[in-house]
Amino acid sequence: MRIASRGLPLLVAALAIAYPFLVPNYYLVYAGALTVMYAAMATSWNLLGGFTGYVSLGHSAFFGLGAYGTGLLVVRAGVPWVVALLASALLVTVFAVVVGIAAVRVRGASFVIVSIALVSMMNLVVQGWRSLTGGSTGLQVPSPFPGLHRGQTHMVFFYLFLALLAIALASWWYVSRSRFGAGLRAIREDEDKAESLGVPTGAYKVTAFALSALFVALAGGLYAVWFGSLDPIFVFSILIGSYMVLMSLLGGVRHLFGPLLGALIVAPAGEYFLIALGETQIHLTATGLVLVLVVLFMPDGILARFTRRRAGPSIPDETAEQRLQGVAP
Amino acid sequence: MSLLLQGLALGVLTGGLYALLASGLSLYFGVMRVVMVAHPAFLFLGAYLTYTVHTVFGLDPFLALPVTVPLFFVLGVAVQRLLIARLAPENLAMMSVLLTFGIALTIEGLLGTFYTGSYKSVSMDYATRSLTIAGVHLPYDKIIAFWVAAITLIVLFAVLVKSRFGQSLRATIQHREAARLVGIHTERVAGYGFGVGLATAAVGGTVLALITPFFPASHWVWIGKLMAIIVVGGLGSVIGAALAAVLLGVVEGLVLVTVDATWATMMFYVFLFLTLLARPQGFFGGRLAHRF
Repeated sequence: MRIASRGLPLLVAALAIAYPFLVPNYYLVYAGALTVMYAAMATSWNLLGGFTGYVSLGHSAFFGLGAYGTGLLVVRAGVPWVVALLASALLVTVFAVVVGIAAVRVRGASFVIVSIALVSMMNLVVQGWRSLTGGSTGLQVPSPFPGLHRGQTHMVFFYLFLALLAIALASWWYVSRSRFGAGLRAIREDEDKAESLGVPTGAYKVTAFALSALFVALAGGLYAVWFGSLDPIFVFSILIGSYMVLMSLLGGVRHLFGPLLGALIVAPAGEYFLIALGETQIHLTATGLVLVLVVLFMPDGILARFTRRRAGPSIPDETAEQRLQGVAP
Repeated sequence: MSLLLQGLALGVLTGGLYALLASGLSLYFGVMRVVMVAHPAFLFLGAYLTYTVHTVFGLDPFLALPVTVPLFFVLGVAVQRLLIARLAPENLAMMSVLLTFGIALTIEGLLGTFYTGSYKSVSMDYATRSLTIAGVHLPYDKIIAFWVAAITLIVLFAVLVKSRFGQSLRATIQHREAARLVGIHTERVAGYGFGVGLATAAVGGTVLALITPFFPASHWVWIGKLMAIIVVGGLGSVIGAALAAVLLGVVEGLVLVTVDATWATMMFYVFLFLTLLARPQGFFGGRLAHRF
């Protein structure tokens, strides 16, 4: 078990690094980069959703802002793309702190409403501010690597997204072992009790919200320079936000690799649907039905089925007889 | 001046419609503490069914109601009894949002597949003209929408206040355990509450079909608007939602005539955030809305 739990991630990491050289064509490199991007975003979403239990359906707001921030800095200000990427991610983080102060004041259902409202607002702003953003016609961002052809660009961005995913995973792991992470978990279990025990709940929630927004914004910025054209309706769609939630829930929000596993299932499935069924809207129905089924039957995710740690109380409720059977040879 | 009057009049008329559309959301939240994200998707399902009745059978859109209202009532009971009642109570608020979000995506996808993604509209002769009073133009379709909404809301209030079912529903909203102690089947009542809420979506859908062109993804705009209304009104309060609906309708109308459409829609979110900062329980919500 120990070897499996240590060795498996290393094996998966090695496979991921070799992936672009193992697949026969550039389309699969592209699909791989997209999947890794979603995995990075779902893992960042889980920095908030998994630890605190605050479900945000509006993280695509940070994705879109990161994308537009990077794109606008490159196009309108002529900033090098790496600088634009970092600057816009920083700006989005500051923005997330400001929004977070208002948003995390409310719990449960109201928080979800606020997160949905955030996406709609950003969509309105970007579409309405035509002179700056190009409105609904979109924004064209020049390629950062004019020397490379399209396939090679996919390859570069595959590794960039992989690096982002590694950073997001490392952050989740670090937070999960820290005092900060313990405080966030306490908020999830019982916020009032956590507060009365001296956990600075407000500051912790805002920090988690901003940290999670930071990585999603970085993913958005990379997406902007990778794709080269931004469509406000797509980058600020609630669908992208719901993908992050679906991937995390499907894999298991309480596990480091849960969102990654979810992304490995959902993103290729989405691409497959797009190819098999064309541009019809039926893929929305498929996403919706999967979400309904996961919520109804598997709210703890796939990984929860394979690990001993259950979501319930740490000391299980069992009779002395069951205990004895457990230790009997 | 007449421009402001125009905005005010249009605002009151659309505010009445908003009140009807938000009333269902308040009912769901009242009986189950559930934010039903799929409500606007059901509205547009109603609009598309109305469209089919109108184009295929050539009937007046309002003749679709005898079919859609009972159908939506049954659907509402089914959604509550088969889906929402199965969720674990300790995480109901979050999981129910995700569940109804999944339902909304499912409906949107099906509408897009069957009716294609292009705009549809239902236009009637009587709805295209407008009434002019003292320089203020009032389109007949908006007037009809207002009266249909008003009549439906009056019927809804009468049912809630006068009938035995309404009493047990309000008792369930006010205190579930106490209601069960006096012999009310709260699970059944909650199911019927969902049914009534979704039945208002059938009426709302028909009205929407009459006054505005629609496409499958239109419901996202309405989620934001309606959620803003029920938060400003106070989650779970039907009367609060109605007052907030008229208030926001008027604000939207005034901004629409003085600034532009983007800012008019933005007003909903501005009010949402101001409410959360100043008074998270909403302006008209009472004890019920506390801490949600």
